[in-house]
Amino acid sequence: MKKYNIIFLLLFAVATSMTAQTEKGSIHIKNGTVITITNGILENADVVITDGKITGIGKSLKAPKGAKVVDATGQFVMPGIIDAHSHIALDAVNEATNIVTAEVETGDVLDPLDVGIYRALAGGVTATHAMHGSANAIGGQCETIKLRYGTYDPEELKMEGAPRTIKFALGENPIRVHGEGNRLHARTRMGIEQVFRRAFSEARDYMTAQEDYNKKMTSDPQAVPPMYDRRMEALADILRGDIIIHCHSYRADEILMLMNVCKDFGIEKIVYQHVNEGFKVAPELAEFGAMASVFADWWAYKFEVYYSTAYNAAILTRNGVVTSINSDSGDYIRHLYHQAGKTQRYGKLTDNEALRLITLNPAIQLGIEDRVGSLEKGKDGDIAIFNAHPLSVYAVPQMTIVDGIVRFDIKEDNNDMRMSVDPEDVDAMMLDYDHDHRCMEGAAEELFHH
Amino acid sequence: MRKQTVKWFLPFLLLLPVLSWAQDERPPVTRAFFIDNAFIMQEPGKVIDLGSVVIRNGLIEAVGKGLKAPLDAKTLEGDSLYVYAGFIEGLSHTGVPKPKQPERGSRPEVKDPGNPPNSVAGIQPERSVTDMMKADDKSVSDMRALGFTAAHVVPYGGMLPGQGAIVLLGGDDEREMVLRTNTSLYSAFEGGRRVYPSTTMAIMSKYRELYMQAEQVKGQSDKYATNARGMNRPEYDEVLEAFFPVIDKKMPVFFEVDDVKEVHRAIGLSKELGFDLVLAEMTRGQLVMDKLKATSTPVFLSLDLPKEKKEDKKKGGKGKGDKKDADEKKDKKKGDKEMSPEKKMILDQAEARRDASRKELEEQAAMLAKGGVDFGFSTLNVKAGEIRAHLGRMIKAGLTEDQALAALTTTPAKMLGIADVAGTVEKGKIANLVVTDKPYFAEGSNVRYVIVDGTPHEYEAKKKKKSGLSDPNATVKAAGEWTITIDVPGQSTESTLTITDDGGSLSGTMSAEGESRSLSDVTLDGSNLTFGSQFEAGGQRINLSFDLIIDGNNIEGSVKAGNFGSFDVEGSRTPE
Repeated sequence: MKKYNIIFLLLFAVATSMTAQTEKGSIHIKNGTVITITNGILENADVVITDGKITGIGKSLKAPKGAKVVDATGQFVMPGIIDAHSHIALDAVNEATNIVTAEVETGDVLDPLDVGIYRALAGGVTATHAMHGSANAIGGQCETIKLRYGTYDPEELKMEGAPRTIKFALGENPIRVHGEGNRLHARTRMGIEQVFRRAFSEARDYMTAQEDYNKKMTSDPQAVPPMYDRRMEALADILRGDIIIHCHSYRADEILMLMNVCKDFGIEKIVYQHVNEGFKVAPELAEFGAMASVFADWWAYKFEVYYSTAYNAAILTRNGVVTSINSDSGDYIRHLYHQAGKTQRYGKLTDNEALRLITLNPAIQLGIEDRVGSLEKGKDGDIAIFNAHPLSVYAVPQMTIVDGIVRFDIKEDNNDMRMSVDPEDVDAMMLDYDHDHRCMEGAAEELFHH
Repeated sequence: MRKQTVKWFLPFLLLLPVLSWAQDERPPVTRAFFIDNAFIMQEPGKVIDLGSVVIRNGLIEAVGKGLKAPLDAKTLEGDSLYVYAGFIEGLSHTGVPKPKQPERGSRPEVKDPGNPPNSVAGIQPERSVTDMMKADDKSVSDMRALGFTAAHVVPYGGMLPGQGAIVLLGGDDEREMVLRTNTSLYSAFEGGRRVYPSTTMAIMSKYRELYMQAEQVKGQSDKYATNARGMNRPEYDEVLEAFFPVIDKKMPVFFEVDDVKEVHRAIGLSKELGFDLVLAEMTRGQLVMDKLKATSTPVFLSLDLPKEKKEDKKKGGKGKGDKKDADEKKDKKKGDKEMSPEKKMILDQAEARRDASRKELEEQAAMLAKGGVDFGFSTLNVKAGEIRAHLGRMIKAGLTEDQALAALTTTPAKMLGIADVAGTVEKGKIANLVVTDKPYFAEGSNVRYVIVDGTPHEYEAKKKKKSGLSDPNATVKAAGEWTITIDVPGQSTESTLTITDDGGSLSGTMSAEGESRSLSDVTLDGSNLTFGSQFEAGGQRINLSFDLIIDGNNIEGSVKAGNFGSFDVEGSRTPE
């Protein structure tokens, strides 16, 4: 009898280990300046995380049993920073072989061994939007990940339950790769519009064929269903509103164009990425309910990105567009709090408005605002602790917590935090500082631009 | 300048008619063999000391003590031989000629890279490896010489290169080699060259799509088979049909994986789609041990290992050996004086991590064995010449010899479903045996016979190399003129070897009787000089690869001539 129990227990242990349970922890952060984003700033306050969730924010709270205690006296506690546009932790960025690749998913090529995860944590970032690149008009589906540094299992990076998103791209990148590079369509901005319209029309046909089959099969057991097509399935899911579009964009005319396309096909969920000319069409974006994820002050790296301003984020914000500041870079991701601070110099955003750009607003854009982006009871225990106010130029991240687990602690920050090392060559990457942008990676070397 | 013959190759040419006649024409005198007074490792841990083996007509007829030599049996000579079951490659390309490697970064000519033909996309699961095998491919004799007698072989290709077969590494033609066909659907995360699917994310998507389409079409075909009238005919698609036995769980998917991320991806796909999975070429499996156990996925570990650090670098240091390595070091460490202590510390740490990373790979087999995970070995990416050294390194890292032997014999036999006929030295099994003059894993042990399907292949015990260099601190100089003799039985010729050193890059020529040929891949690694050459004769191209050790003004070693075996080479520097 006893034996059977043991076998059963073993089986149970094996079964639970199979369901890739992400590690969750309990932490009691004591006596810090707590920036909640949604409920002001609390001085000398505690934040308690129990089993990965925030269970208390306030003065002199009790610690849960076995919780790790962190003394935050004199320090600033804020929600973990969220980057709505990133390519870290990816083994591939562009499937640049076709102008529509809605069926591919970056969630299939997550790279938990990328040291970029640790570097981002060291900048207070706890979640990123691991995006497909901008080589295709309709690129691949993206994955919202949590920076659970230390795991070898790609699945464990995924933010379970986060909505599906997909990368679109306007303008020069897809034109260069497919029109000029492959000598196929589209060769102009007009052609890009047609790529969207054709793809959505095909998806509609596919949906109709499926509905017809579903009707027919009730009376005819020999009915043959339309051939399963993953590209069409993904496009149909966009039409059904199950996938949020995140579109690489610069020019105002194209931004309006895509909103028109969306209107024609009944698509409501769209976030524009980069959006350098967003300030020109801010009221239109607000009216549509489209959102914007921008750079703080970066432009002129190619022709379509000349007409730009550092006031972009502020103008969009003041016009009621949900706006975030993103990195699109393994370097900028480490100081998004500085990037956010620039909106105070260019546009006089308040502290809270500036911090929203890298916390709650990107969370809204990714559809995860009920889980992260602010410090509230019931939300995930994703937290960044700074030695000074995060918008101060003297701010240095001290500790970054994901699901109640400390994933970065400046006191235990060794020189070499790589998860995987070349067994044949000495790669002293700590001495070679690179800030690669991967938006067009995999889209042929000569086209290596943003 | 292509001459028909080059005279210094004459000795090899003399071998040609003899060998081809021996192989093709003359029937064997007997198919009964006897091994006597041997140490017989029937299976890991089960030993018969001073036993005998009788082989007849391709099968093991008897194993045990006190057996008498049958009258018609040929006795395989050698004192106190060690007998093992023939080794089994879990997944390999042995016997499949390697297709030409296309230029890196090039794209095949296609109209639309987003929709290439299946052959360009690497989607050819309908192909069978048996259509591609060549019995005389060099890889067969190379692997056999190490003791491998059977292999699960698969085609070269992209994400779905085709179906595998289990073959014996002997026999005059491909048909004779085949033991089982359609044994696996071989899959790899290998994208098209700048055509769809070029990345792993597209491969994953395509894999799911093909599988689900196959399920869909299979369902329709089954329906159509029972009641076709009034039903639209399902489309014939050989790619999708290739998945049918996988869907029926009659054929496993063998996934080649590169490191832990791909292990997770392959296991994820198999869970999602529901196919039987076998993992091959696994590295750092200890990092996914829980998942391997929980899914009880059969695994074949890579026999490849990273290059070992040369220990003599710091001591002897200045020789031209390890030149490339030493130069790299120099670049990075640019004069210890200029380097700040912090930079030096970081570099030392990075070096330590590289070593730890190498150790992690060497320890894989030992850690899995300790953790109770059964495994065999796959050989898709290892060079035959390195296998014995790699096994040695795994054993040094904690794998026991019995565990190593199990991974080469009993476990792969079980995992491949051929344990009834292979994997142990037992009566009634196919006579696949390895016979050595010392225990297989012992230092200096030579393979003396490899018996495949009852046919012995004999190997000479290697001559002992002179122990060490006469002066370990001497500078090894390859450049210059050497007079060498190649020892082909009954016919030895003197040739002149000229090596030129052009600022670290070596080249050379070899000449005899007024004819000369240039050499390829001239490399000096420590005192080890290697180079290749080739010639054509009788419609065959024969590759020569020289492997020589320089000791001051003496040089010796061997040359491998295509399939004809190895011949000793000796020589000395021509006095200036």
